[in-house]
Amino acid sequence: MDHSLVAEIKENLESIIESFPDSIVTFDLNGIVTSWNKGAEEMYGFSKEEAMGRFLPFVPGFLVDAEREKIVRIRNGEVFKDYETIRQNKDGAILDASLTISPLKDTGGRIVGGICISRDISDKKRIEKELVRRNQELSRLFFISSAMRGTLKLDRLLRMILTAVTMSDGLGFNRAILFLVDENKDSLRGAMGVGPASTEEAFQIWSRLSLEQKTFTDIIRDIETGPLRKDSFLDKLCLSIEIPLSEETILTKTVKEKKSFYVQDVKGEPLSDFVLTQQLGTQAYAVAPLISRDRVIGIIWVDNHFNRRPIFEEDMRFLSAFSNQVASVVESARLFEQVALAEQEMKNIFDSISDMVFSSTKDYVVTKINRAVSERLGKPPEEIIGKKCYEVFHGRNEPRRKCPHHKTVKTEKAYVGELDEPYLRGTFLTSSSPIFDGTGEFIGTVHVARDITEIKKLQQQLVMAQRMAALGEVAARVAHDIRNPLVSIGGFAKRLEKSLEGNLKDYAGIIAREVAVLEKILSEILSYIREVGLEKRIVNIDYLVEEATAVMKSELDEKKITLVKSLNTSLDVLVDPGSVREALLNILSNAIHAIGNNGTITVKTSFEKDYAVIEIQDTGCGISEEILPFIFDPFFTTKGSGNTGLGLTITHKMIEKHHGRIEIESKPHKGSTFKVFLPLKSEE
Amino acid sequence: MKILVVDDDLPIQRLYKEELIEEGYEVVVAANGVEAMAMFESENPDLVTLDIRLPDVDGIQLLRQMKEKRPKIPIIMSTAYDYRDDFSVWASEAYIVKSSDLGELKSMIKTLLVKK
Repeated sequence: MDHSLVAEIKENLESIIESFPDSIVTFDLNGIVTSWNKGAEEMYGFSKEEAMGRFLPFVPGFLVDAEREKIVRIRNGEVFKDYETIRQNKDGAILDASLTISPLKDTGGRIVGGICISRDISDKKRIEKELVRRNQELSRLFFISSAMRGTLKLDRLLRMILTAVTMSDGLGFNRAILFLVDENKDSLRGAMGVGPASTEEAFQIWSRLSLEQKTFTDIIRDIETGPLRKDSFLDKLCLSIEIPLSEETILTKTVKEKKSFYVQDVKGEPLSDFVLTQQLGTQAYAVAPLISRDRVIGIIWVDNHFNRRPIFEEDMRFLSAFSNQVASVVESARLFEQVALAEQEMKNIFDSISDMVFSSTKDYVVTKINRAVSERLGKPPEEIIGKKCYEVFHGRNEPRRKCPHHKTVKTEKAYVGELDEPYLRGTFLTSSSPIFDGTGEFIGTVHVARDITEIKKLQQQLVMAQRMAALGEVAARVAHDIRNPLVSIGGFAKRLEKSLEGNLKDYAGIIAREVAVLEKILSEILSYIREVGLEKRIVNIDYLVEEATAVMKSELDEKKITLVKSLNTSLDVLVDPGSVREALLNILSNAIHAIGNNGTITVKTSFEKDYAVIEIQDTGCGISEEILPFIFDPFFTTKGSGNTGLGLTITHKMIEKHHGRIEIESKPHKGSTFKVFLPLKSEE
Repeated sequence: MKILVVDDDLPIQRLYKEELIEEGYEVVVAANGVEAMAMFESENPDLVTLDIRLPDVDGIQLLRQMKEKRPKIPIIMSTAYDYRDDFSVWASEAYIVKSSDLGELKSMIKTLLVKK
């Protein structure tokens, strides 16, 4: 072939390629660009100089690996025809492209690279999409809003809305945030945000989320478990956004003017919200109000941050239509949530009341109960509600005449009374109040019943104890009056038995034995009465000491004796408080006697192992070693006449009776220390 | 050995006296506090059985008076009602609830007098 001809053909070819409207790019087996035509420059924004000698610059970062795989396949002679994918221009914007890639051979037929013809089909895609959108708009709107009407859970509903807004074949926006108007604070608060964090995530999500050929349950599942996680960056960010309605921004204007806004370029819009431009890096965005019953309850904000697709009139129209559809659903969900919250609160209060609270109709049917009722009856609510109240509470087939509810039904007046209920094995303080409906007609009662069985029991025990104490006094007298004659009768009968013979001896013996039986019975009765009289109680040891020292106060003051108290154990002991107080008083009285005038008594409480310890230290005359062993002996006294000498004996016996002990340390002229040990745990 | 029996119930007083004499003791009796203290001083008994309830003076009172005079004298509180939890009787050597069976009383007396 003629060289000039070859050159001419080559030039013609090159000019055809150059002037061809589609992008034509050749590359070697490493993907390095070897030629770049005008069409490529126009489509991708890179000049020939910029593109030559580097790896195919229009491949988005996240598709580079996939692209390299394709080059390997081209090396093996494969051809890709009308293959649709995503490309990226110099500004980083994503475009839809249709590609044809075929191998490029050298004169020897060896594959040395590839030739890629690409066509920008973004417009085509958009038109297609819009066509689909027009066709499906009505049905989809209907579908979405009917799906939404099915849920009254606000959180779930909001997520559904935002998902619909961002699904590629939904409204198709890249990101969406829902703001709700907080009427209490007069501000706009971010409620939820949906959108990917990066271009890569965007690509993944958009390929997964699609309305087409999905059932309602699939969509719900996508929403709840899908890629639009609740804790996404956008979600977290938007929850922190609060804009006072007094501020003049595009978002607040949407609320105040009740209309949509489209901001084509944030740089040209001074009212753009700082948060949106700074934190979200948005360039262009749209906002639509959610209007329910002529009130703006919130707004939807959208942008196309990742594919930089402009927002068209059509998008705005669809966004507004959608907003109008969902606004009323959002409001009812919100109201429902508030009602549910209030109801939950009421229920919590209702249930936390320890008294039984329930309502019954005038036909005696239980309509509502709190937890206490279910617990006291030992039945689940479903076995109580709907039953006749006299069945569940009284175990009867007809109302109890004493029942307050019954009385209220008859009189339509409130009633309070105490009721013994053998069926529930208890005593109840009950009150019943009538409920009237809007027209003033009596419809039933609210009933509060407090279980006073325990209190009643305690009251009865107290009365019993008092009676027994009185009985104790009587018993001593009765014992005297009955036992003394019995002893004589029995005693002399025994003497008779000894000195008589035959039948008479037997008779005397019978009398003696019968008397012995009577004596035994008497002893049993009396010992029973006696036991009730002496009772141990749990008392705070500090309190006991306080009580004892208080009794001594005037004597201490009179003798100018300082009392130092160090009581901070708060220990409880099980004792007969009367006798322990008596024991302490005896020791204190000894201490005062040992000091005479002017001195100090120190009282301390503490604990050692299993014992509470009361330490009483005086600065008195002390006790000499010779008499120390005798101080607990009865009638031993150093105080002279007028003293019984029984004080410390009694003290000692009392503490012993409580399984405790007394330790004494004393030095003549220095003073004495009495330590009283009382067991912390009762051995009884 | 001489025992002073203090009891205002005369049949019991007599029962104790006869039974104790049979046991070989010398027995003197008193029916009230005044009498009892007089006998206590004049008869110088080796042991006293003392009723707590007396018409003129409390038996506890009497116990104290006797112990003040003679701290080592064994005294048995003998009562119709069981006062053994009442600390005021703890100063006595022994305590017994009256019974038609005098066996326990007799063995108690024997023990206390042997100790003495």
